[in-house]
Amino acid sequence: MSDGQSKKWFSRRKFIKTSTVAVIGGVATVGIISVPVLRSERLLLRPPGALAEDTFLASCIKCGQCLQVCPPQVIELAGINQGFGIGTPHIIPRVGACILCKGLPCVLACPTGALDHQISEGKEAEMGLAVISRPQTCLSIKGINDLVFKLADLEEIKSREELSVELMHIITKLLDRLTAKEKHSLKEQFDLIGMEELSAFDLRDEVMKDNLQWFVDFVKKSEQAKRGCRICLEECPIKEEQTIRFLGQKSNSSAKEEIWPIIQKTCVGCGVCEEKCPTAAASITIVPRLKWTGEAERNNLLPISR
Amino acid sequence: MKIDFNEPKVKTFSGPGKREENTPQPGHSGHKWRNIRWGVLLFFNLLFFVSFFMDIQILEGSLSGSRLLGFHLIDPLAAVQVILASRILVINLVIGVTTIILIYVLFGGRTFCAWICPYHWLAELGEKIHLLLKKKKIIKNHSFDKNIRIYFFVLFIVLSLITGFTVFETINPVGILSRFIVYGPSLMLSWVLALLLFEVFYSRRAWCRYFCPVSVSYHIIGLATPLRIKWDREKCSNCKRCQQVCLVPHVLTNSVNKGVALYVDSGACTRCGLCIDICDDEALGYGLKYLDNII
Repeated sequence: MSDGQSKKWFSRRKFIKTSTVAVIGGVATVGIISVPVLRSERLLLRPPGALAEDTFLASCIKCGQCLQVCPPQVIELAGINQGFGIGTPHIIPRVGACILCKGLPCVLACPTGALDHQISEGKEAEMGLAVISRPQTCLSIKGINDLVFKLADLEEIKSREELSVELMHIITKLLDRLTAKEKHSLKEQFDLIGMEELSAFDLRDEVMKDNLQWFVDFVKKSEQAKRGCRICLEECPIKEEQTIRFLGQKSNSSAKEEIWPIIQKTCVGCGVCEEKCPTAAASITIVPRLKWTGEAERNNLLPISR
Repeated sequence: MKIDFNEPKVKTFSGPGKREENTPQPGHSGHKWRNIRWGVLLFFNLLFFVSFFMDIQILEGSLSGSRLLGFHLIDPLAAVQVILASRILVINLVIGVTTIILIYVLFGGRTFCAWICPYHWLAELGEKIHLLLKKKKIIKNHSFDKNIRIYFFVLFIVLSLITGFTVFETINPVGILSRFIVYGPSLMLSWVLALLLFEVFYSRRAWCRYFCPVSVSYHIIGLATPLRIKWDREKCSNCKRCQQVCLVPHVLTNSVNKGVALYVDSGACTRCGLCIDICDDEALGYGLKYLDNII
């Protein structure tokens, strides 16, 4: 071997040795130092049964099986900005909320117990807590009926298909709330007297025939329009116990009494109320991992912590 | 220690063998095992995808953890990290890891790397570009210590124990890529891309060769499995072309350089079959150590 060759060989050996020490040392240092940095402070809403955040992050194997079995397909995997949460499941309730399925398939699918197998029902979950984070827009507090509010929004809708879908939602809700007398006057108006039960489909078709303005006026005048929005409670998947109570409180700004939704201990933080809240930005939102206290019941004016 | 520079360290027929990183010589175009292997690799990764996408539920999950027809499969390194980080022992993890160990005892250890791992496949394509650039003298290859992946294996296990987080799973390119295949893209793919660029321009197939700790658990399993590359001393003409194409060339040393091992004895062997494809002497093939004579 010539001198040049052996020098080359020697420098290659040296590179391998020094690079080994550098790589191992570098990774070990970065690994330890990055832990507090990569521990994201922002809490995500986890699927039902999730262990305490740090234990959850340690237990989750990032396989995504909970996502695969989720019937409403609302579970997503966290991205690069989530530190050690990369690839872990979370739910964005405004986009699609957990509906607390019977049997909790996501919990059953979890191979590592990061979603704790000890819970078997939605009402046992402790995902977080709903709070009225924007009381200034809350329809209940403002005393505005949700169907009247939604009908006002319909004017913005241009496409007929979209209008028909939205109208169907409104009519289905409305029929549950109308008095017998009001239903009868609806039948008279649209010549549907012969029908035993007023069907939402028929009513929708009639309203779509240029009767929208009349219908809006009818809803405004209906008995149920006197009541403020209660969508959050109506849509809540926990039916056994009341999760939200509507209580009158004295207003800070005027002499009028305001009806405040007060979150009860039974709320598990599934987020359906946030998803269904009719205001432009949800007035009720979920604070992940928040635990209910009596404090929160008396005054649920908690700031949005994100 | 005095190093004798006159003593040749690289010998052709004895010692570590000549391992110049050339592309295989012309005249041989057999790609039988490579094609079968790529087929299997793409099949399983596609099976992960369609199991979710078309909801046929055969292979659910991703490569870190899945269910094959309902049976748990868990990557051993991921399982060890989860157990040490959370300090909770879940029976599903034990079942999943045991099943994986049984499967790879049957099918040969680092078979996982060459026959299943999607990153390995990308790395093989990257290696082709690397060799092309090297041939045109645009880049130079840099080698690292091949034991780094073993140090990494220990390091990341220790890190999960002392930090309480599954640190490696955050940067695991195998998991990231597998989740990409099943659930769609994420920004973490940029890390995988960075690794690939490093391999193409700086160090040939560096992640799989030197760094990947996932491969170490399969390496260990591979020490105990009968399925190995079999070497026929009589047929071999000692041309060393197998070592030129081998993904982990040192595993053939005891056979083609020293002539002492009739079965490749290293756990690092990925059973990829590239050496079988290249061998004109038909001296290499798949065999079952301990069992060939009985059968």
